[in-house]
Amino acid sequence: MTIRADNRLLDGAPMQPLDCHQCGAEVEVRKASWHQTSVQWSSQALGACLERRAAHSGDGGGPDHGLFPGCTALRESIVRAALDGAIPVPEE
Amino acid sequence: MKGWVTVTAVEASTTGIRAIEAEAVPTRFARGWHCLGLSGQFKDGKPHTVNAFGQKLVVFQSGDGGLNVLDAYCRHMGADLSKGRIKGDELACPFHDWRWGGDGRCKKIPYARRVPLRARTAAWTTMEQDGLLFVWNDPEGNPPQPEVAIPRIEGATRDDWTDWVWQEIVVETNCREVMDNVVDMAHFFYVHYSFPTYFKNIFEGHVATQIMNGLSRPDARPPGKGPRMLGNSSVASYHGPSFMIDDLTYHYDDMDLKSVLINAHYPIDGNSFMLHSGIIVQHSDKLPREGAEAMAHKLGEFILKGFDQDVEIWKHKTRIDNPLLCEEDGPVYQLRRWYEQFYVDVADVRPEMVERFEFELDTTRPVEAWKQEVEANLARRAAAGRQA
Repeated sequence: MTIRADNRLLDGAPMQPLDCHQCGAEVEVRKASWHQTSVQWSSQALGACLERRAAHSGDGGGPDHGLFPGCTALRESIVRAALDGAIPVPEE
Repeated sequence: MKGWVTVTAVEASTTGIRAIEAEAVPTRFARGWHCLGLSGQFKDGKPHTVNAFGQKLVVFQSGDGGLNVLDAYCRHMGADLSKGRIKGDELACPFHDWRWGGDGRCKKIPYARRVPLRARTAAWTTMEQDGLLFVWNDPEGNPPQPEVAIPRIEGATRDDWTDWVWQEIVVETNCREVMDNVVDMAHFFYVHYSFPTYFKNIFEGHVATQIMNGLSRPDARPPGKGPRMLGNSSVASYHGPSFMIDDLTYHYDDMDLKSVLINAHYPIDGNSFMLHSGIIVQHSDKLPREGAEAMAHKLGEFILKGFDQDVEIWKHKTRIDNPLLCEEDGPVYQLRRWYEQFYVDVADVRPEMVERFEFELDTTRPVEAWKQEVEANLARRAAAGRQA
């Protein structure tokens, strides 16, 4: 099967590069609204993420089976980028 | 989108009508562990027929207690081994009593002096865990890798949890439809009458996760007595192409109810699959053993109703490779990009199929709160900087 592109990325805003203020990892980010955020990581960015590395130094057990829910520093970087306009947010 | 092979939807340029596109269903079946259901059902001393991966399989328990899965057709004259009998460690063919071992080799032919060369059928790697039987499917014939192992489900073997309430239904469509539910935020409202307030998908490696917190919808609940369900919190992950473990907590006005929900399937063929749901519930002060058992059955019925709601859609819908998404929809394309890794050879798994992708919808954090949070953090950092 062919991997197809998301029609929203073709017709709307693309994913945009963003550096995390904490570790400098470069990810791609897109916001469809103030409440919605998409993040595309590369393996390089994931390797650089401090919170991710801290999370994976644990035993990885627990009910969530070692799930890393996301990086709070990156989340904050995205909020800041959205607020200062670096990552565009479509008007509601 | 660097490095993707992309195909843009072709539209009928003269009419502006959006064309629905769909390639044929894949001719191969996903690489990965597939759950065949409760292992206990295969331990009744009889062989069992399982139609899976476009083939007929036989499951049987050998004398050592282990569960074995073989191609069901005897290599002698093609009879169905699942209609045979278990004799000691071997499965005896109903046609001429040829004896087959769990390793797929013919061990004995009672009326022959020796077994011919090449008397070997396909044997599938099996795994029994937490009361469930799993079979490994790999079109390339490689053994399972340890990193794709199915995680243990703690409550499944603990005394303070109920036994599995397990149900299976045959669904007459390609199994991609059930996978799409991982990302389909909006259908939870329209099809299942829940009200997600927080939704997140994470795809990474062979795991696809859906985190969802939702409120109960008063419009979907008959007014009545008893505890009122306020909502639920769910962390659900597919570990590979077919087995989802959902840590699911129901919030009532007077208690929290902890459960684990399994949503699993195996393909029967390209156009049908067996859909499984399993649930266990933790006992609590408010819900001791009997109450928890009753609740597990009630939830089981509730989940089956949810399946029925999905099936009603699936049996009438068409396969669509180019869904036309609005900004409020979930990451259907990115999920399918992740799912594709199981349908190509390991050597052909591309980075974009396994690299981490996150999609989050958080309606619980108003924009004003974000602004305040950022300002507070900046102020704190500035203060820390002054102290240093």
